[in-house]
This record gives sequence, structure tokens and C-alpha cells, in this order.
Amino acid sequence: MEALVTQIQGLSGTASDVLSLQNLLKQADDSLHAESTRLPPFLDQLDPSKHSLGYLYFLEACTAGPVTQEQASSFLLTIARFISSCVAEQIRLAPDKFICVCKRFKDQVLLLEEPLRGVAPMLTAIRKLQLSSEHLTALHPEFLLLCLLSKCYKTALSILEEDIFEVDQPRDLFLFCYYGGMISIGQKQFRKALELLHNVVTAPMSTVNAIAVEAFKKYILVSLIHHGQFPTNLPKYASSGAQRNLKNLCQPYVELASSYSNGKIADLETYVEANKDKFESDNNLGLVKQAVSSMYKRNIQRLTQTYLTLSLQDIANRVQLNSPKEAEMHVLQMIKDGEIYATINQKDGMVRFLEDPEQYKTCEMIERIDSSIQRLMTVSKKLNVMDELMSCDPLYLAKAGRERQRFDFDDFDNVPQRYNI
Amino acid sequence: MASSSSSGLTFKLHPLVIVNISDHYTRVKSQTNPPPLTSTSATVNGVEHQQQAPRVYGCVIGVQRGRTVEIFNNFELLYDPSTHSLDRPFLEKKQELYKKVFPHFYILGWYSTGSDAQESDMHIHKALMDINESPLYVLLNPTINPAQKDLPVTIYESELHVIDGIPQLIFVRSSYTIETVEAERISVDHVAHLKPSDGGSAATQLAAHLTGIHSAIKMLNSRIRVLHHYLVGMQKGDIPCENSLLRQVSSLLRRLPAIESEKFQDDFLMEYNDTLLITYLAMFTNCSSTMNELVDKFNTAYDRHSRRGGRTAFI
Repeated sequence: MEALVTQIQGLSGTASDVLSLQNLLKQADDSLHAESTRLPPFLDQLDPSKHSLGYLYFLEACTAGPVTQEQASSFLLTIARFISSCVAEQIRLAPDKFICVCKRFKDQVLLLEEPLRGVAPMLTAIRKLQLSSEHLTALHPEFLLLCLLSKCYKTALSILEEDIFEVDQPRDLFLFCYYGGMISIGQKQFRKALELLHNVVTAPMSTVNAIAVEAFKKYILVSLIHHGQFPTNLPKYASSGAQRNLKNLCQPYVELASSYSNGKIADLETYVEANKDKFESDNNLGLVKQAVSSMYKRNIQRLTQTYLTLSLQDIANRVQLNSPKEAEMHVLQMIKDGEIYATINQKDGMVRFLEDPEQYKTCEMIERIDSSIQRLMTVSKKLNVMDELMSCDPLYLAKAGRERQRFDFDDFDNVPQRYNI
Repeated sequence: MASSSSSGLTFKLHPLVIVNISDHYTRVKSQTNPPPLTSTSATVNGVEHQQQAPRVYGCVIGVQRGRTVEIFNNFELLYDPSTHSLDRPFLEKKQELYKKVFPHFYILGWYSTGSDAQESDMHIHKALMDINESPLYVLLNPTINPAQKDLPVTIYESELHVIDGIPQLIFVRSSYTIETVEAERISVDHVAHLKPSDGGSAATQLAAHLTGIHSAIKMLNSRIRVLHHYLVGMQKGDIPCENSLLRQVSSLLRRLPAIESEKFQDDFLMEYNDTLLITYLAMFTNCSSTMNELVDKFNTAYDRHSRRGGRTAFI
């Protein structure tokens, strides 16, 4: 054991040394696991900022076995300190060990019922494990789970803002987008929530999984709140399994959406009352209530398309609100949120609906469009790369070759009918 | 062949004639198969061919008023190599048709292509003498000589000279001027500016326009950079301070911005934003189409249930 410690201390200098150290550690892994109870004092001899790789192996072996309540607290401290001071390059040599340690950290934190303690260390851990800001690691969903449980949504927003291009495991993506959607709903950023939930629902999946089903239910509700309508068919790029099965599994929500589109609040409320327990068992009752209240907004918006001016009393009648005062409150809120453009004349209680005052002549608009164009250009480049990769994919070529028409008069090239590698 | 004529006639040539002859020649040359080689000989199937540029022939028509001969138009004729003469009945038919449309035009002579007038041309020339007692011979030289500044067109007249005791008809060169009507000028200008490969398709014209603007901006940028570099050097002290230059630079800068008013800003920004939006839209469409293809390929490769058997059109 001591020999191993001295070796770690000696070989943690340069990159080549670290590689040889890694081989040594891999061989010694089993012996480490066998003597896991004896390891904690050795941890003090190692410095996490210099000997990160060795420390990681030791730490992973230590936490492998069952941990008692008293040990848990001290372990949390050691792990947190390790995460904040470790060296990223050394960690990336053994990513699965690192993920293992962090997951155990999360479990401990949840056991102690103090999810807040885990948020900051987890964030640092993600930043150290990521190869680039576009890389989705297995730690992302764990981090979001901790944020959700501790209700600190703001820290999660910085992670959600990044665009993701590389994913390690598909399950990570599903969980990440689902939790991310829930956090965005909590922050009332419905557009972002819709985008994330959309990703879950349309992600490629050979069989429908439970995460997608739950996400689909929330997706319907958020789409009703944000857009006022729900497209009955999933887009073409959703997997065929999803297209066929998701709607059957979320029947009450689909019916809710269809009764929403009729526009009658009373019907909607009776339907919600009738199926209250189903919504409650899915923990979606809050969202459903938000959807119902968004119905008023939808109706007022529909009024802007027909009328130029309207009195508050009329609005209240048409939207089935109880009094002009309520109507005024609704309209005021909508003007503040930027959902409609109107002015309220308090003297005679008339509301005049206006056009969008944006003239598109300002420099800020130029910068906005310019940055959008730049983003599109990077996306386009990445898409081209992916397209080329896809065209060379043997599975695709096999299927494409099989489906060609037999007698193509203009074709003289030979696409193999069976593509054997 | 003498180099100047003594008939005292002034010749006026319209550009339509030149364009027509050139067009005739180009058409015939591009339609011959295999393409002719100019001066080298080619070995085809073991037989040596010496191919020269094809010669084209035709008639020129116009008006003669007093001493001024104005050549307005021309039409093509077929050359009969067996009799070494032009197709006579066709010529007469054409003459009749042109008479109906242009009653004042007469056949003034004939044209051909080549680098110099040849002996055999005299034969054709004499054959035309019964229509016009003194016909003209318009010769176009189709070889492209970038150093040449004048038009490669020469007008020959025939004169009776006594050579070695025998009176012979020889060609003498005459000078001419180019005369245009306004309509002619516009159409010839238009024809001259067409690009040889694509012609007037919108994409190449837009590309040409934008390339011109791009090179202009690039030149402006490089010149401003030179000035800036110079001024920075002056500021640092590397270059001695030259007040006259500084005065010029400052007066130039004071002339900018050229227009400064609220209305101009508004309109300018609006137009700028419109162009940006169009570019954005174009990028969007491009991206969407790539994405669509990618998703199609992905679905074909990995989605088990989508296409089983059956033929699908791969567009």
C-alpha cells in the first residue's frame, strides 16, 4: 500500500508519467478494492491538487463499500474538497471512476437530505469533466436533479444555456432534457422548456421509454400554455415508435388539449375536475391549472385579431371573466409581458389594440440579426459534417442500395445490392 | 495588290455588317466537327489533314449616293467549291426578298473571312460584276490579335492595272469610316457585353456585380490601411512629420460622413436590415434543407419500421 502511495507521489509530475501511473493503478485496482476499509488514512498523505489520479482511485475504492452515517458527512467534505481542487487533465484519463465517485456523492447528499450541499461541487465537477462546452456528460442530469430537489433553479440556467453537440449516453440526454424542461418551467421560461421537452419527445428511440412518456405529458401542457395550441402530430423527424405510441399512453392529456382548442373555459374546467386524480398522480396538477388560466390570455389575443377597440366590459363578457376589473388586470399583465400591444383608456374603460411598434431600423436589431446569422453559419457547418458522415454510414448505404428501382435507364453506376464489409 | 485606291469614293460601314460576318464565321467554325486547327497539321487515322479556319461568304448591300457608299446590311451565301463561285440563283432570290423590304438597297459587293485577299477571290469578284459594275470586297480577319487596335476589317475595290503589259484586275485597299444609327449603337453595345460562357443568367450577373463591389472595397480597405500605418509611424516618430500630408488627411476626414441626417439613418438602417434578413432567410433555407436530408438518411438507416419493401423515389 505504502509503495503505491510513494509511486503516486513520484509519478504525478509530467503527462507521460501520469500515463504510466494510470497503468499501475489499473493493475492495483482490485487490491485497492479489497482493502477499502484501510484506505482513509492514506488519503491524507496524498494531495488532491497534485496527485489527482491516484487520489481518485483511492477515493473510489474507499467509497465502494457501504458507508455509515458518521462517515458520510466527512466523506462529503473530502469529496467536495477533491472535486474543487483536482486537476482536469488527470481526471479525464479515468472518467468513469470520476463519474462513479460523483454519483456516490450525490447519493450521500440525498440520503442526508441536503441537496443544496451538492449543487456547487457538482457544477465544478461537470466543468472539469467536460471536454468542451458542447459535451454532455453523465453528471449533467445528476446536477439538474440536485438543483430541482434543492429548488435553486438559477444555477442550473447557466448549464441549460449551452448548446449540446456530443452526447455520451442517450439516457443522459433524455434525463437532462427532461429535468431541464422542469427547471425552465419552474423559472417560467416556457419557450426554453418547450424546446427541451421537444428534444426528449423527438429524440431517436427504438422503443418508447418512460422518460419520454412523462416528458410528452408535460410537453402537451407547456405547449398549451406557451402557444395556445398543440400540434396533434409529432414532426416527421420523431422516431416512428414515438409517433405511434406516445399519444396512446397519454390519453387524458390529449383530450385536454382538444377541449382546450374548443375555446370554452367552462368545459375545460369540468374536464380538469373530472380527471383531477390522474393529473395529480403525475404531479402535473399545477401545470394544468396554469394551462387553464392561459386560456383567458389566448381568448384575449384572439380578440386583437378582430377588434381595434373594445370596452373592458365587452372583453370580460367575451372571455367569460367575472368583472371588468379582472379583464383590466389580465390585459395589463399581458401588455407588461409583451404578449399584446394595447393601450387602456381608464376614463371610459376602452382598450385600443395596436400594431407591433418594432420598425426594424435600429442598430440593436442589426446586431441581433447578425449574431443569429453567425450562429446559423456554425450550425450549418456542423450539419454538413454530420450529413457527410451519415452518407458514408454502411447501414444507410445498404438500405439505400436495396431500394433502388430495378430499371433505371439513366443509371450506369453500380450500387452494390448487398453491402458487405 | 496596291495599298490605296484612287476611285475617290468614301465608304461608310455600319457595325451591323461586322457583327453579322463575325457571327456567321463563329457559327460555322463551332459547327464543324472535329474543330479545325489553324496552322499545325493533325494526324487523324494516319492521314494528314491540314485544316484551316473555314471561310464564309456572303453579300453586302447598301446605298450609293453620289460619291458616298454606305454599307448597311449583309446576308450569307453558299460557296460552291466545284465551280468556284457563289450560289447564283439563291443570291437572286435573296436579292428580290430584300428589295421588297428595303427598296433603296442595292447589292454593293460581297464579303469573306481570311487574313488576306487571295487570287481565287478575283474569280468571285468578276462574277459579281454583272450585278454591280464595281463591287466591293469586305474582308474580315478572324484571328484574334490582342495587340491590334484597329478593326480587322478591310474593304477592297477592283482596279484595272497594267502589270507586265497585261491589264489585270487587282484588289486595292480603301479606307472607310464606321457609321452608326443610335439604335445600332445600343444593340451592338449590348451584344458586346455579354459574357461568352453563360450569357445573361441572373446568377452570373449578380456574382459579377458583387465581385466588382468586393474588389472595390478591398482596394479601399488596403489604401486606408496604408494611410493608417503611415500615420501611426508618424505618431511613433519613426517617420518625419510632414505637415502638408497631415493637412490633406485631416481635410479628407472632415469631409466624412458624407450624409448625416435622421432620415438618411432611418432609411439606411432599414435597408441594411432588409438585406440582413434576406441573408438570414437564405441561410435558414440552406440549413433546413441539409437537416431534412440528414433526417431522411437517418430514418432510412436506423428506423426499422419506416420503409419495409416497396419502392420509394429517391429524389
